[in-house]
Amino acid sequence: MATAPLSPAPIDYRHLVQDGRLHGSLYTDPAIFAQEMDTIFHRGWSFVAHDSEIPNQGDFVVRRVGSQSLVALRGKDGEVRVFYNRCPHRGATLCQTASGNRPRITCPYHAWTFALDGRLIGLPDEGAYPADFSKADAGLTPVARMDSYGGFIFVNLIPNKLTLREHLGHATELIDALLGLSPTGRIQLSAGWMKHKMRSNWKMIVENQVDGYHAPMVHGSLIAANRTFATVRDRKPTSPTRVRDFGMGHSDIDHASDYRAANDKLFRWTGGIDPARLPQYVGAMNDAYGPEDARRRLIEGPPHSMLFPNLSLAEMNIMVIEPISADTAVQYTCPVFLEGAEDLNARTLRRCEGAMGPAGMLIADDAEIGELTQMGVTNLEPEWIILSRGMGKEEVLPNGVKLAGLMDETSQRGFWSHYRDVMAGSQENVR
Amino acid sequence: MTVTLLEPAPASGIDTKAVEQFLFHEARLQDEHRYDQWEALWTGEDALYWVPMREGADPTREVSYIYDNRPRLASRIRQLNTGVRHSQAPQSRLRRLISNIEVSETDEGVAVESNFSLIESRRGLMTIWAGRTTHLLERVEDGFRIKRKIVNLVNCEEAIGNLAFLV
Ligand code: FES
Ligand SMILES: [Fe+2]
Repeated sequence: MATAPLSPAPIDYRHLVQDGRLHGSLYTDPAIFAQEMDTIFHRGWSFVAHDSEIPNQGDFVVRRVGSQSLVALRGKDGEVRVFYNRCPHRGATLCQTASGNRPRITCPYHAWTFALDGRLIGLPDEGAYPADFSKADAGLTPVARMDSYGGFIFVNLIPNKLTLREHLGHATELIDALLGLSPTGRIQLSAGWMKHKMRSNWKMIVENQVDGYHAPMVHGSLIAANRTFATVRDRKPTSPTRVRDFGMGHSDIDHASDYRAANDKLFRWTGGIDPARLPQYVGAMNDAYGPEDARRRLIEGPPHSMLFPNLSLAEMNIMVIEPISADTAVQYTCPVFLEGAEDLNARTLRRCEGAMGPAGMLIADDAEIGELTQMGVTNLEPEWIILSRGMGKEEVLPNGVKLAGLMDETSQRGFWSHYRDVMAGSQENVR
Repeated sequence: MTVTLLEPAPASGIDTKAVEQFLFHEARLQDEHRYDQWEALWTGEDALYWVPMREGADPTREVSYIYDNRPRLASRIRQLNTGVRHSQAPQSRLRRLISNIEVSETDEGVAVESNFSLIESRRGLMTIWAGRTTHLLERVEDGFRIKRKIVNLVNCEEAIGNLAFLV
């Protein structure tokens, strides 16, 4: 007997995400996870790759966005295109390595061969196909929309109504701030990505990236072991550092507000190194921007931010969050090299290794706390997570950006209020 | 930088038994989280403890999971010694097997390559780690000191979990 297809009960995101509290199931429910992949990652804009990762024609990287495997590839014309990593013939995976270089893409199954711009250029025994078969219809499938800002390439798989610029909103200022630390305005993500498996929900990583409350506790062991490496900034509740909610789910911890207030020395953001030890970089910055503006940039440093949904400009690192399942994610970390700053880049590389990834003296402990939190929220009670620290005390700027104290949960609430709009909005549309 | 330090043929005149015993001793100190004793196996300066993300990687341009010089190594140990490094509190229960040991004499010291498999038990999860380790050892009066240790994990190109213990 035929039965009607099951339509799952709608999930009430306006109930699960409240202004100062969240329902624990948001981190554990596989049905919510599946909807997030579709609604946030496939229907929204997601970061996929940086232009500098694939500098030469034929360079490619394979990336996962939501549940989809994508190939970002530089063509002979110098253009980057993003295709689904799926052969149009019978579906085999085309690129099996995380990155590489190929003059053309040949499928391992029946050797259909594609040019770097996606055209099908050859297949064995083509004449055996019916007369209406056309190679022109059987090329690689590009993603529906791609766009970039500052070399950061984003994709939107199921078209929405927003331009990338509208999605990024004020977050373009964060990208500008990072690029503005480079004497040429360009960065290079060429050092490869640490891949760190986290046994926690992807949103916990998002929240922790812009959490100004946990550092003295979670990172107490590093602060005790190596104070200068752990922090040269003020982490007290009275710190002038602000957290900011930019809207559209983007947020940051604005360490520059602390550095500006101190206004004493350059490079607090890279261990307070003596500028005399970075002559090449300092010289190039002075030449590029003039001594006064260069000084401001070198005092303020890079952003510490989370761009909705998966890209973190994490000071001199880029971090990308890849959801795997409700309780697993992979965090990718790549140090940011600045073009024309070899002396700083060497330092940035070693600092990345010290702090980040599965053995990092900082992030391994964040990962551990994420895992403990994941295990914790699996318990049914107390059901709600409290996220109201500093609520109602934010300063709202004329442009809508909200400012709050270093330890306030304003940044997380910024993420969640956009999450609620996106997730509830898509539910309401289908009802 | 090439990964292997071995000469084409094993050198004679090295007390390979002593080298083996040194590796087994080091393994036990790591398994049992005897952090200070393990640190004492290292040379005073010029040390390198390297866990690359790719075999044959160039560590001056590519990011590694661990690339510790002597001061960084000391920091790592100090952090573990606090007892509140969350990713090792509780500590992993570890036991590793060292095998396929090949030894040769080089200009820099005694080069040793070996395979390991390591079983980790932590919080209800058993994890298998494996790889090939290159040691460069310096002879000292009471045995050897580690000048360089490179650990090539078999899964170094995959996403890996908590590596806060000593590998
Ligand atoms: S599936 Fe790719 S050529 Fe057949
Ligand atoms: Fe942290």
